[in-house]
Amino acid sequence: MVSLEKMARLAMECRFDSLGRSASEDAASLMPHSNTADCASAKIEIGGCGPKNSPTEMIAARVNEKKLAVLGEGTKHDVCASTFSPRSEPLPGICHAFTQDGRCVSLFKTLYTNVCSHQCGYCSNSAGCMNRGQAFSYTPEELARITLSLYRGNYIEGLFLSSGVGRDEERITEKMIETIRQLRQEHCFSGYIHLKILPGSSRSHIQEAMMLADRVSINLEAASASHLSEICSTKSYESDILQRQRYIQRLMTELRSEDGRAILPAGQTTQMVVGAGGESDEEIFQRMIFEYNEINVKRTYYSAFSPQQGTLLEARPAEALWRERRLYQMDWLYRVYGFRPSEIRYAFDESGFLPNSDPKMAIAREFLDLPLDPNRASYQQLLRVPGIGPKSARRIIARRKSQAILSRRELAILGVRIRKAAPFLKINGWTEATLERWQA
Amino acid sequence: MRAGRNFLFYLRLHRDCSERLLARAGQVEPADLETSVEREHVRMRKMADEVAGEVHRMKAFVRLTPLGPFVLYGFLKPRHRIGEHICEHFARRNAGIIVVLGNGRESWICLCREGRIWRKWGNGLSESLEGLKFALKRDNGPQNEIGRDDLDVDHLWQIFYDSQCCPERENLAAFRRHMPRRDQEAAGMRLVNKKREASLEDFFGWV
Repeated sequence: MVSLEKMARLAMECRFDSLGRSASEDAASLMPHSNTADCASAKIEIGGCGPKNSPTEMIAARVNEKKLAVLGEGTKHDVCASTFSPRSEPLPGICHAFTQDGRCVSLFKTLYTNVCSHQCGYCSNSAGCMNRGQAFSYTPEELARITLSLYRGNYIEGLFLSSGVGRDEERITEKMIETIRQLRQEHCFSGYIHLKILPGSSRSHIQEAMMLADRVSINLEAASASHLSEICSTKSYESDILQRQRYIQRLMTELRSEDGRAILPAGQTTQMVVGAGGESDEEIFQRMIFEYNEINVKRTYYSAFSPQQGTLLEARPAEALWRERRLYQMDWLYRVYGFRPSEIRYAFDESGFLPNSDPKMAIAREFLDLPLDPNRASYQQLLRVPGIGPKSARRIIARRKSQAILSRRELAILGVRIRKAAPFLKINGWTEATLERWQA
Repeated sequence: MRAGRNFLFYLRLHRDCSERLLARAGQVEPADLETSVEREHVRMRKMADEVAGEVHRMKAFVRLTPLGPFVLYGFLKPRHRIGEHICEHFARRNAGIIVVLGNGRESWICLCREGRIWRKWGNGLSESLEGLKFALKRDNGPQNEIGRDDLDVDHLWQIFYDSQCCPERENLAAFRRHMPRRDQEAAGMRLVNKKREASLEDFFGWV
């Protein structure tokens, strides 16, 4: 076995590590040996706005805790927390921590600045908000440094960087790109980076961002131009948002990284605010189909509207969280289960809204007239049974090749949620009472 | 958390896995095991899944603290035999830096350099860190003497973590499901450390 002395020598000889040439020096510079008890603000390099700080100045500077909290809070309604990125040498994505609302915090999600000239009625950072707090902004150096410190300590898997547009979206976009350039090129950061494209960003900036990030996204916020105008008077649905999505889509097919691989491994995504613009679930569904088929987004995210103090939509009631959940279920049925839009339409009521019940159950009641025999049903048929997902359907098919499935217990062991599925199945010639089927 | 293709690997790391059980598991095709309903196979699958779950959560929950430019250390007290695997994961992620994980009784030390992994086992975490301090000091001279730093990244994280919570979405059941207290304790997470009562190990085994 290797001795501690040899390991120490090997580590000291290392001139390159996962965080680049200067990482060891940086780490040393980040660790003053004094034993300061003042924990009001942690000591790491932070610069104010201005020229690049020297390492010595960086050590002396302190993190503004309020800035960290305010700019972090600015992204809490952005629900994307995925860290999956099929890069050449991927590090496994891990969900590092969950907040008390049950959501994963695996990324350092933050705004670059909370200054914004848009007038979005749902956002507390918008120009029209009466309760706007203090304006804060990072510098690329300090944001890169905080990200690196958190990444090295295994607090985060990567960076999710969004921002207000400031007074000029091009300037803010340049700063955001500079941040991720420093991370990738100066510090050889191999973690995950999700960058928000600001509405109205130029094609060249989008291209630059795409070369460095794992995923980019631009939020639709509403299902159509008319609904967007209800909640934001300063953004153009077509030119500010859809046009930028098409840029990204085209660039993804045109561009290759230096080593010939496709860029942007985790693709582009989008997000809608549900319930702010008065759109129906069916309208959201139509937009979702457009986004998946025409724009080729990887995921569409939904965030239930929650009124913010001082905003234009302050008086509007908060959207029920179950609506968001039902939309995700519908999205899942289309994207993962491969349901046809003509089938999913049966889940909507007459006014185009999803009721607060499992949409798959509603569709099954409409289409599954006769119970299915799990020993004979096709994969697609099994997927349409509530309580059977892609994994359990695959297991049923693999299992029945060697041995017939004759009991509920066997199905339960294969991962089927038997209480939901039993009314739609004929197991060993037996079918559940129909009353249970209709009440399930 | 499903063990999947690495079934045998995870099964081997289970604290109750015997050589006989491993030999029997080796005779079954992984694909058959996935769909088998036999009691023993179901038990093996559960054991492997249990380990895979703990591996996943330890990779997520363990926090690393720098000790000078060459060492990262963290607390880890797993239920299964996964210490070395977790340590290796962090060594690969932090190439060129010695990663030390452990508790009062045992520790794992790994270094990844040029794609090769160097491993070592030690007694207590504090003992291993003392040994490393001594080795680094001797080879590198007093100018790079390592000591406990006071960079409070944990404090930064706590501020950010608190900023991410939406009270209107509170879902404590989901929180407890995703962050079992037992696993938080195994990784020495601060969320729990603040509240739990001190044990003898905290005095005898901790640095």
